[in-house]
Amino acid sequence: MSKPKETKLVIAIPSKGRLKEACGEWFAARGVVLEQEAGSRGYRARFAGMPQIEVMLLSASEIANALLAGDVHLGITGEDLLREAAPELEGRLYLAAPMGFGFADVVVAVSRAWIDVSTMADLDDVCAAFAATHKKRLRVATKYAELTRGWFARNGIADYRIVPSAGATEGAPAAGTAEVIVDITTTGATLRDNGLKILDDGVILKSQATLAASLRGAVWDEDARAACKALFATLGLEAEFKALSALL
Amino acid sequence: MSSFPYYGPADIDALNAQAVTLLKLFKAKGYDRQEPSVLQPAALFLDRSGEEIRRRTFTLTDPSGSDLALRPDLTIPIAKRVVESEPHFPARISYNGPVFRHESKGGKPVQFFQAGVELFGEPDKAKGDAEILTLAVEALRAAGCTDFTIRMGDLGLFGALVDALQLPAHWRSRLKRHFWRAGYVETLLDRIGHGDETSRLPQDEKDIAALLEAQGDAPLAGRTRAEVITRARAEAAEVLKLDGNVAGAITRLLDISAPIAQALTDIRALLKTAGINLDAGLAAVEARVALLQKLGVDRIEFNAHFGRSMEYYTGFVFELRSKDGVELAGGGRYDNLLELLGAFAPVTAVGCAIHTERLLATVKGAA
Repeated sequence: MSKPKETKLVIAIPSKGRLKEACGEWFAARGVVLEQEAGSRGYRARFAGMPQIEVMLLSASEIANALLAGDVHLGITGEDLLREAAPELEGRLYLAAPMGFGFADVVVAVSRAWIDVSTMADLDDVCAAFAATHKKRLRVATKYAELTRGWFARNGIADYRIVPSAGATEGAPAAGTAEVIVDITTTGATLRDNGLKILDDGVILKSQATLAASLRGAVWDEDARAACKALFATLGLEAEFKALSALL
Repeated sequence: MSSFPYYGPADIDALNAQAVTLLKLFKAKGYDRQEPSVLQPAALFLDRSGEEIRRRTFTLTDPSGSDLALRPDLTIPIAKRVVESEPHFPARISYNGPVFRHESKGGKPVQFFQAGVELFGEPDKAKGDAEILTLAVEALRAAGCTDFTIRMGDLGLFGALVDALQLPAHWRSRLKRHFWRAGYVETLLDRIGHGDETSRLPQDEKDIAALLEAQGDAPLAGRTRAEVITRARAEAAEVLKLDGNVAGAITRLLDISAPIAQALTDIRALLKTAGINLDAGLAAVEARVALLQKLGVDRIEFNAHFGRSMEYYTGFVFELRSKDGVELAGGGRYDNLLELLGAFAPVTAVGCAIHTERLLATVKGAA
């Protein structure tokens, strides 16, 4: 993206739905008013009285990628999306503040008919038995391939394969396209409706909307730092700005 | 080594000359060269190799939509061919060619050359192990590398140890599957030792069946009803308890990493404490040591948890390293792979792969 002479601090926030609303409320509660920019077709906004900050409206998953690419300095999106996009966060992103909304758990779920399976250790047994009996790996449907790999590796499970899922992951076991799923859930109702249960130790990540900063790629010059410092001070995040500065 | 190596005339000539030397040696020992294609059906690696190999494998989709992979090793395509062609056993095969692997950390090569040998269907495992080990040592020497050390382990030894424990079968297989994971086995043993692995399932078979019926239309998800019930019964029936001394001895045994003489002394002492007899397994290790000493290789290290850098090893494993610690060759026994690839009966397998570019660099560096 072309940068104007004076570097503006660029922050990306979700462009639609409940997350966008909740973001607006979160800022408003801290005295920062989000205003839509006229004629921008809803892609841009600004914080009232903060001309040094540019607000971009992006989809939640684009925000994770924009942060990693350094196209934006700051961004607000789900921690699940951030960790999926960058399995090794260190040195790439700084998670400045959990925001208290957009809660969702990334979980490992299996069919309730698997009455013998309630833990990751059980699932490990079943994966090994499945490979031995059926001569193929048990399939895990998910759109969180990276989170799944990391979690399964930490639990010592190697006998499985990931089937990328674009949507309606919870239907995969019934449809026969996968045996197990890793998916996001808030109340567990959708999983229950599909005959699935969450493993006792199967919560991979308790995610929520998170304010994150890009450490690689984004240009953190004096202007950007000053704007960020002012914004974080208004938001009551002085300590977080200090921690961020130390990483830049 | 670059991720995108470019071999100038001198480089490629030297590498080819070394390959000729290695292949000539392999052929003299009865190993004929075979060459699987670089492009392979992705399913060959993805269905049977698990996520570790999958995450290191380059996959692509051809214009018709089929999933392909650049071979991450030659062992799997060669083993697949053996399953399909059912050759006369024992079968001896050699290879030399580029392989492609993504390394998530450190940005190591995506392409490098490997030369190797595979021995299939030799019923005398000690003989097969010895043959491959000897060949690996001779190959390095033929290429001009004389200064190397060997690190070895034995997954079979740990298997025999676990089999000697009074534990339910699936707990034994759990321990065997995880023995290579630092800390994992220790945690499992600790849990068994404390006896806090009590089942929540009903004891009675009828109650188990009723519990399954009560799940309504929840999908069986790829398993049969019988599979679920059988495992549920085994879970419900198990009483786990392991003597603290035994658990402690196994944990310490896994930590052993020492020159071979010291390692064997330590292992014997620990086994005595635990009251476990593994004479047969240890005799196999000693036979390999004697063989190596006869070959003039005397810097031997035994590492009890060494052996699963690739996922399919099942027994003896070894690694030859330069004096600077560079891994030049590695191999071992992988008796389960051919069945995983569709063989109807078990076929023993043991092999070795040489990282030829590292070998060449080591020889050049020493010259």
